[in-house]
Amino acid sequence: MEELIRTALATVDAPDVLHADVRVVAHDRFVQLAVRNGAASALTDARTEALGVRVRTDRAWGFATTCDLRPGPVREVARLAVRLARAATRHTRERLRVTDDPAPKGGRYMTSLRRDPFSMPLEPVIELLIAAEKGVHVARSVKSGLASFAAWEENKWYGSSEGASYTSRIVHVGAGVSATAVRGASVQRRSSPASFGGDFAQAGFEFVEGLDLAGHAAQVGREAVALLDAPACPTGTTTLVLGSSQLALQVHESVGHAVELDRMFGSEAGFAGTSWVAPDKIGVLRYGSDLMNVVADATEPGGLGTFGWDDEGVAAHRTPIVHKGTLVGTLSSRESAAQLGLRRSGGTARASGGDRAPLVRMTNINLEPGDLSLDELLEGVHDGVFLDTNRSWSIDDRRLNFQFGTEFGRRIVHGELGELLRNPIYSGMTPSFWASMDAVGDPSTRHLWGLPNCGKGQPGQLARVSHGAPIARFRDIAVRGG
Amino acid sequence: MPRRQAPHPAEDPSAVLSELPRGSAGDLRLVTAMSTTIRFANGRIHQPHLERSTHVSLRLADGRRLATATGSDASLAGLRNLAGTARALARIAPVERSFPGFVSPTGKGPGRLAFSKTTAELSPEGVTELAEQILEAAASDAPGARVAGVVHVGNEELRVVNSCGLDRSTRQSVAYASVLAQRPDQDPPVAGWSEAAHWDADRLGPARLGREAADRIARSTPQSVEPGTYPVVLRGPAVADLLRFLAHLGFSANGEIEGWSCLRRSRGKKVAPATVTLTDDPVSRETIPQAIDYEGTWTAPTPLIEDGVARHAVTDLLTSGRLKRPLTGHAQPPEAPWGDYGPAPSHLLLDPGDASEDELIRETRHGLLVTRFHYVRIVDPGRGIITGMTRDGTYAIENGEVARPVRNLRFTESVLTALHGIALLGKDRRIYYEGGGAVTAPAVAVGAFRFTSATLF
Repeated sequence: MEELIRTALATVDAPDVLHADVRVVAHDRFVQLAVRNGAASALTDARTEALGVRVRTDRAWGFATTCDLRPGPVREVARLAVRLARAATRHTRERLRVTDDPAPKGGRYMTSLRRDPFSMPLEPVIELLIAAEKGVHVARSVKSGLASFAAWEENKWYGSSEGASYTSRIVHVGAGVSATAVRGASVQRRSSPASFGGDFAQAGFEFVEGLDLAGHAAQVGREAVALLDAPACPTGTTTLVLGSSQLALQVHESVGHAVELDRMFGSEAGFAGTSWVAPDKIGVLRYGSDLMNVVADATEPGGLGTFGWDDEGVAAHRTPIVHKGTLVGTLSSRESAAQLGLRRSGGTARASGGDRAPLVRMTNINLEPGDLSLDELLEGVHDGVFLDTNRSWSIDDRRLNFQFGTEFGRRIVHGELGELLRNPIYSGMTPSFWASMDAVGDPSTRHLWGLPNCGKGQPGQLARVSHGAPIARFRDIAVRGG
Repeated sequence: MPRRQAPHPAEDPSAVLSELPRGSAGDLRLVTAMSTTIRFANGRIHQPHLERSTHVSLRLADGRRLATATGSDASLAGLRNLAGTARALARIAPVERSFPGFVSPTGKGPGRLAFSKTTAELSPEGVTELAEQILEAAASDAPGARVAGVVHVGNEELRVVNSCGLDRSTRQSVAYASVLAQRPDQDPPVAGWSEAAHWDADRLGPARLGREAADRIARSTPQSVEPGTYPVVLRGPAVADLLRFLAHLGFSANGEIEGWSCLRRSRGKKVAPATVTLTDDPVSRETIPQAIDYEGTWTAPTPLIEDGVARHAVTDLLTSGRLKRPLTGHAQPPEAPWGDYGPAPSHLLLDPGDASEDELIRETRHGLLVTRFHYVRIVDPGRGIITGMTRDGTYAIENGEVARPVRNLRFTESVLTALHGIALLGKDRRIYYEGGGAVTAPAVAVGAFRFTSATLF
C-alpha cells in the first residue's frame, strides 16, 4: 500500500499542487447479521477497497477515488484529482489556507480488543440473535422482532506530500434487539439496549456478549405490548428527566452538529445546514446552564470516534467544547481551523472510507457527568416525566428547534417513577433547553453510546460517533403524547 | 506485495454461479459507476469529488438459507471469494420458508430507456462549468448573496445475473443540481432555493436554477407566525419529501407484513381526491429511468394511488413469497442495512394538474407557501405521522398573494391527512433526485396542514 501511496503522490507532483494526501482503506469490512421474525433479514459480509487522492492548489481542493488498486488506475485517478482542483481553481479567487499541524511519521493505531469479531466463527453470533429475537415474541400482538449484530473493520494507510504517514486498524461492533407490537393503527416498539440497531463500541465481540440481548428480550417484548394499553404522555410544560441514551442523541443533534466549524462558516449551507452558533461567539456564548460541560474526546477508549490520527494526519485530541455553560471550542479541520485563525486543527476531519474526502465530523462528544445519583435526581421532581430510548428525531437546519419522540415514558410523581406512558414527544429550542438543565447524573448514570449512522456530505458519508451521557433533569419543557 | 488481479468485471460473471455446489443457487449484482460531484459554498467551489466505483453483491441460497456477500472486486477471482464468503454465512442462516427461488428469465423488458451518453461521459471540467454557471447566474441576480449548492453528474450500470439463467442490465445517466441563495447578514436570514434533476445534463438548466434561487430571496424580513393548522401551497421539493415517506410508510410490503403500514387497512379505498394519481414508473422518460430492480425483475409502471384510491404495496422476491402476492419488481440491494427497508417504490410520479404556482396561491387565499422541508422523520408509522421543519423560503399567503416571508415552522402531520387534503395540483413538474431514487412532482395546494412549533429564523 505504501508503494501505491508513493505512486499517487509522485503522479500529482506539480508546481501548482501545494499539498496532497492519499488514503488507502483496504479492506473496509462490514459484517451485519440480522434476524427478523425467525428469518435472516440481513446476512452480509461486505469487503471493499478504495484509494482516495486529495490535492490542494493555492485556491482549491480536488478529490478523486477508485476501487481499482493497481498502479495504472491509481495514477489515472491521481491525475483526475489534479484536473478537478485546477478546474475549481480557475473559478476561485480567494486563497485557501490550512493550519500547519505536526505530521505523524509512521505511527500505528490499533483497536484494543479481546475477541476479534473477524477471526471468530459466526455461528455463536447467529445463535445469539435467533435466541434474542425469539424471546421478544411474548404475545400475539408482537408482530415483529429484530435482533441484529454489526461489525466494521477499517484498515487504513495514510501518506501525504509533507512526509506524514500512519496506519491503523479500527474495529467497531454493536448489537441490539427490538420488538414491535401492533393493535389497529397503534404501533409500539421497544428496544434494548437502544433503538436503531442497539449500542456500538470500538471493541471486540466481548462488548456484544456483555449486552445480554437474549436476557433482555422478554422484557423488551412485554414493554412493547404494555405500551399498547398505556395512557398517552400528557400534554403540557413539565420537568423532564432524560435517560442516558436519549440524552446522547440530544447532545449529538443540538450540540455536536452545531459546533462543527464548517457548518458555522456556511460550507454545508446548501445541504446539512448551518449553525445557530456564529464563529465569533466562541468563548462568550452561553450555551447552557453552569452544569453543562461538553468535551470532544477522540482519545476515550471504546468510542466510535476514537482514533490515532484523523484523515488529515492530525493527532487525536481531547477538546473542551462547553465549559460551565459557555462555548469554548469547536470541531474543526485544517481548513476550517485556519479560517477561524487557529494555529492548529481540532483534529476532527474524518472520512467514511477511502472513497470519500474528509469532512469536519464528530468524534466522541460527551456531556460530562455531575454528582447526583438517579434517586437524588428524581427526588427533586414533584411531577414530571422520565423519557428514554429514541423513536424519532428532527431538528432545524441551524440546530435550534428540535423535536424528539422516545419509545416510552414514565410519569414521575413525588420523586418516584410511576406509570408507563406511550408516544411521548418533547420539544424545545437548543439554548433555552440546555439553560434549563438543573441536575446532572453522576458517573454511575453515565454510558458511552455508539451511533453508527451520522449522515453528512455530498456524496453522502455515514460516520460512526459516540456520546458519553449521564441522565439529566430539565425544567419547564414542552411534552406531549403523539 | 502479491500482484493484483484486475478488479474489472468478469466478462461472464455467471460463471461463478455455475460453480456453486448442487443445492445452491444465487443472484449477483454488479454495479459500476462514475460520477463527478461539485459542491460550492460561500460563492466558491469547495468540495470537488470524482468517483469511479465497482460494487458487487452475491446472494446465495443454500437450499432455503440465504446470505449475501459484497465487495468491490468484480473479477472472477473476486467473485469466487464472494461465493465462498456467502456460502459460509448461508450455512448458519435460519431457513427462509417463503423464499420462492430467484427471478425467472422469462418475460419482456421495457425496451430502450432514456439515457444520455453525453451526460454519462461529461468531463470533470464540464461538470465544474455547470457549477460555475449556477454561481454566475445567482451572483448576477442577487449580488452579494451567499450561494451554496451542488452539481452531480454521473452514470451507473446495474447488471444482474442469476442461477436461473437471467442476465439483465440497465444503465442510468443522471444530472442533479441544487442551489441556495442566502442573505445571512439579515436577521433572520432570507433564502431562495431551487433544484432539479434530469437524465440529460443539457436539460438541467443550471443558469435557470441559479436565477430562480436568487429571485426567490425575499425582499423583507421574515415575521413570526403562530403554529397551527393552515392551508398550504407546497412547492415540488416539499411534495417530493412527503411522497418519499408515503412510499415507505404506505407501500412497502414490509409494512404490510409487519402491520405498521399506514395504508394496510385502506387498500382499494379512497385516500385522496379523485384528481390524485401516484404511480411508480421506473421506465418513464420523466424520471431517472431504471429497467430492472436489484433482483433483475423488469420494472414497469405500478399504480399506487389511482384516482384517489390506494392500491397494493410493492414487493420483491421475499415479500411476494410471504404475502403471496405478485412480484412487482421493487427489490432494493439485499445488503441494505438490517433488511429494514424492504421493497420500496423509488421512481414516483405524481400526475400534474393544470394550475400554475400563482393560481395555487390565488386559490389558497390565506395560508403558507412552503419551498421545502428539512430533517423529516417518522413519528408514528401506523398513522403515517411525520415531522420536519420548513426551510429556505416559507411565506405567508394573504388575499391570494405571497404577502411576506415568515420564520420557519415545524410540521407534525400525517401523510394521509395531507394526501386527503390535496385541493389543487400544479401543472409544472420536475424531477427531484435523492440517493438513487427520484420523485417527479408538481407543487400542490393542501387544505389543512398542521404546524406544531416555530423556530427563531
